[in-house]
Amino acid sequence: MTDVPNDPWFGCLAPCQAHVPCGQGRHIVRWEAGALRLLSHPDPGAELVLAALGGEKARCVEVAQAWGRHAEDLSVLAIGPRGPADEIALSWDDVDAAAQASGRGPVPSGPVPPGPPRAAPMRLASPSVPTSARVQAQRQRVEQEMARTTQRRNDMLSLLALGYGFQVRLIGQVAEAYASPPDEALEKVRPPVVAAISARLAPVAEEWIGIDPDQVVVSLHRGPGWGSVELPGHGEQRRLLVSLPAGWLGRVWAAGLALAGRHLVVAVQRAGWPDARVLALRAPGTEPVPLDVHASQEGPVSGGLDVRFGARDAPHWEM
Amino acid sequence: MNREGAETYLRLLAEAMMRGSLAPAQGPPWAQGPGGGRARVTAAGQALTAVGAVHIETVEDILADFDLAVNVRQLHEQASRRAAGSMPPAGAAGAGPGAAGAGAAPPGTVPAGTLPPGTLPPGTLPPGTLPAGTLPPGAVPAAAARWTARIQSGPLPRAGRLARTWPAEGGGSPESDPEPPGPGAADRFIPVGLSVPFHDEGISGELYLISFAQTGSGARFIAAWGNRTLPPQHRMGLQYPDLTLGLYTVTDDRGARYDLALTPGSGPEWISEIRLRPAPPDDIRWLDIAAPLGPAVRVALDLQVQGAEPEVTEAKLSPGEHLLIMLADRLLTVAPEAGPAWRRQLPVMSPGLIQAMTAGLGDIVAGLEAADVLSPLSPVPARLAALCASLGIGGHGITAVPADDLPERWLSLLAHYQRRKPDMTQVRDGYAAVAAALPGLDGIRLALLGLDNTEGSSSLHVLATGMTAEGHPGPLGVDLDFPLSLWLRDSGGRWHAARTAGWHRAGGERVLRLKLVPPLPRSTAWIEVLAGGRSAEVRTRLPLRWGYPT
Repeated sequence: MTDVPNDPWFGCLAPCQAHVPCGQGRHIVRWEAGALRLLSHPDPGAELVLAALGGEKARCVEVAQAWGRHAEDLSVLAIGPRGPADEIALSWDDVDAAAQASGRGPVPSGPVPPGPPRAAPMRLASPSVPTSARVQAQRQRVEQEMARTTQRRNDMLSLLALGYGFQVRLIGQVAEAYASPPDEALEKVRPPVVAAISARLAPVAEEWIGIDPDQVVVSLHRGPGWGSVELPGHGEQRRLLVSLPAGWLGRVWAAGLALAGRHLVVAVQRAGWPDARVLALRAPGTEPVPLDVHASQEGPVSGGLDVRFGARDAPHWEM
Repeated sequence: MNREGAETYLRLLAEAMMRGSLAPAQGPPWAQGPGGGRARVTAAGQALTAVGAVHIETVEDILADFDLAVNVRQLHEQASRRAAGSMPPAGAAGAGPGAAGAGAAPPGTVPAGTLPPGTLPPGTLPPGTLPAGTLPPGAVPAAAARWTARIQSGPLPRAGRLARTWPAEGGGSPESDPEPPGPGAADRFIPVGLSVPFHDEGISGELYLISFAQTGSGARFIAAWGNRTLPPQHRMGLQYPDLTLGLYTVTDDRGARYDLALTPGSGPEWISEIRLRPAPPDDIRWLDIAAPLGPAVRVALDLQVQGAEPEVTEAKLSPGEHLLIMLADRLLTVAPEAGPAWRRQLPVMSPGLIQAMTAGLGDIVAGLEAADVLSPLSPVPARLAALCASLGIGGHGITAVPADDLPERWLSLLAHYQRRKPDMTQVRDGYAAVAAALPGLDGIRLALLGLDNTEGSSSLHVLATGMTAEGHPGPLGVDLDFPLSLWLRDSGGRWHAARTAGWHRAGGERVLRLKLVPPLPRSTAWIEVLAGGRSAEVRTRLPLRWGYPT
C-alpha cells in the first residue's frame, strides 16, 4: 500500500473456488480478481429473468446475489472469521437446515432488502398517531424486519458455507468499501471498522510481541501514510496503540499477510501473487521497512468435489 | 456525549466476548453461565441506550451479529466434538434442539422441548416442501436438529426489546405519557383517613378513604377495602367488592351528585383508585359519601395539607451517575425478592442471580465513561463497588477502589440486611393517610397518595405525570419508566428504598404502587421522602395518620 493506493485491494489474493450444490449436481463458484464467477452458469442475468418468470433460480446464482447484497454489509466484519484459528466451517447441509427451520426454503430468494441495516439513518421517535394504526404499522414493521433478518441470516450462512477463502475475501471487499468514507459517514463507519480491525489485529499482535489481546487499542487512520504503532506503558498499563486504515483488512489481513517473518505488516507497497513487497514493522515504535515476501502455499485453486478452501489453506508468506 | 465512543465501546466489548470464546481455557460465551458474554453485552447496551448514547437499533444489530457469530462457531465446535466422539449425534436421543450439552444452549435459542406450537421437530419435514435441487430431509437430520433450535428462536422483534432513551433531558420526551388536560396549578391532594361502613346482601365492611387527588385528568380517591364478612369469591380475591359502589351516594357542598368508578389496584392489597364522575369543580369544599343504610361521611377538601414545604437541592448528576445510582437502588431492593434464606447467603454467594445481575457492572461503568456521560473522577462507581463488597458480591468488574463514604440511606439498608433476623418484625396491616405534591424532577411530577402495610409488605402510592410511555427493563432490571431514586426515612431514622411494583394509566397520568424495602414499622409517625433525579433532589417531611380498618 502506498500513501494513496491506486492498485486493486485484492492484488495479493490468489483465486479460490468452492463447490456449491446446485440443481442436481455441484457447481464451481470461483473468486478471482475481486469478482465472483459462476463457471457453470455462463449467463446468470438470463437465468434471473427466467427465475422472475417462475423458473427455478439456481443456487449458484442465489449465492452470487447474496455476495452482492453483502459486499458492503458491515455485519460481515462482525460475523466472519478473526483469523485462521477461528475457522467457521459450515456445510451446505447446515445452510439447508437453517433455511428449512426458518420456513423459507433452502435459500432465500425474492427482492433484495433495501440496503444493509447499518446504512440506514438513525430513526427518531414517531409523532403520535392513533393507537390502532400505530399497532398495525408496528406489526408490519416487525414482520418486515423479521423477514429481512431471516433473509440476511440465510444469506450469511450461504456465504460462510463457501469456506474460509471466500469469507476473508468478502471481509476484504467490505472493508475496502469503507476505506475512504466521507466525513459525514465517519461516525457511523468508524465503530464497526475499528472493532473489526481490533478483532483481527489483536491475535496477530499477541503472536507478534506476546501482548494480551485486551491491551491492543485500535484507531482508524485516515490521510497519508500507513498509520502508526506505539507501545506505551508498562505491565498491566501497557497498551499497543495501533492506527491503521480500513483498507488494511482487505489488502493485508485478508491476504494472510498480517504477520510475515516476525514482522507486523502494515501496508503493501507492491501487490502481487505469489510475490509482493510489503511495509512491515520489526517492533512497535520503529519505522516500517520494505520486505519482499513470497507465498508458500497457493491454496486449492482447483480440486475434486470435496475440496473447499479452508483456514488450513490460507497462504503462508515468507521473506 | 460521545455517541461514537459509546458504540465503539459496545462493539469492542462484543469482540472481547467473542475473543474469549476462541480461548480454550475460558470457553465460549454461551457456556460461561449467568453473566456470560451476551448478558454483559446486553447490559452494557441497555445502559448506553438508557442514557441516549447508543440508539436502540444499533444495540439490537450488534447483538444480532453477536448471536449469529456465536451460533455459527458453536455449530462448528459441536461438529468437531461430535467428530471426536465426545458428544452424541444431534439426532440421537437426548440431543434435541439446543441440546449442545448440559446448560450449553446458546443465548436466544430454544431449549429442547420448547418449540412453539406449529413448528416441526427436526427431521420431520413434510413431504413435498423442498424445492428441487435441495437435499432430501433424510439427508440433513443432524444439521436440521442443530439449526431448528436456533432458527425457531428467530430474531426478536425490534419493538420492545430494549429500553428507549432515559431519562428525558429537561422534561418529557416524545415518548412521554400525554399531558393531562388542565394545568397542574389547580391540582389538589388531600389526606383523608376516613372509613365509610357498608352493608349489603352478605357483604359487610368498610371503605377506607386514604386520600383524595384532583388533577386535570379528573378526581379520585385512593381507598382500601376493609371487610368484616365477604362471600367466598371476595375472600379469595376473585372479585372486588365493587358491587356496592353503585349504591354509594356522593354529594358535594352545592348538592351536586357524583358516581364512583373503580380501578382495581395492581397489587395483592385491596387498594383501589375510585374515580368521581363527573369530575367535581376544583373549588368545592367537601364531599359527603354514604353507603346504603350507613351514615354519610364528610370529606373536607379545603384542608391545609400538613407538612413542611418540599426542600429542593440542585443535584447536577451526569446521566451515567444517575443510572449507576438507580442500579445501586436496584441491587439494594432485589434481596428481599428471593426471601430471607437467599439473603443470608449473600456474603458467600458467587454464582446465580446476583452474579448475573452484577457481572456487567464494570462494563456498564466503562461504557458510560466511553460515552462521556460519566466522568472518570466520579465517586459513584467507587460507591457502587463498595456496595457490592458490602453485599458480598464479587466479579462485578468495577475497577474503582471501593469508597468508604456510602450514602446514609445505603448504609441503613445494609445494616438492615446484616441484622441476624431482619424479617421477624410483623407489621400490622394499616393505611396511612398522606398526600403531597412534589416539585417536578427531570420532567416528572409526583404526588404522594398514601401508604399501606399489608401482609408484611409496605407500599407507597403515587400519582405521576410525565413518565415515559414505553416501559421496558433497563440494565439489570432498572425500571426506566420511573427514572427516579425514591427513598423514605421513617421517624425512627431508618431508610426504606422504593421500587416500582405496579402501575396503571389514568388519563395522562399513572398511578404507581412502589414497594418499600424494608417495610415500614407500625410505629412510624412521620416520613421524610427523598426523591432524586438527575437535576435535583427533593425532600419533604410528612406526618402519617394511620388507620386500621377492620
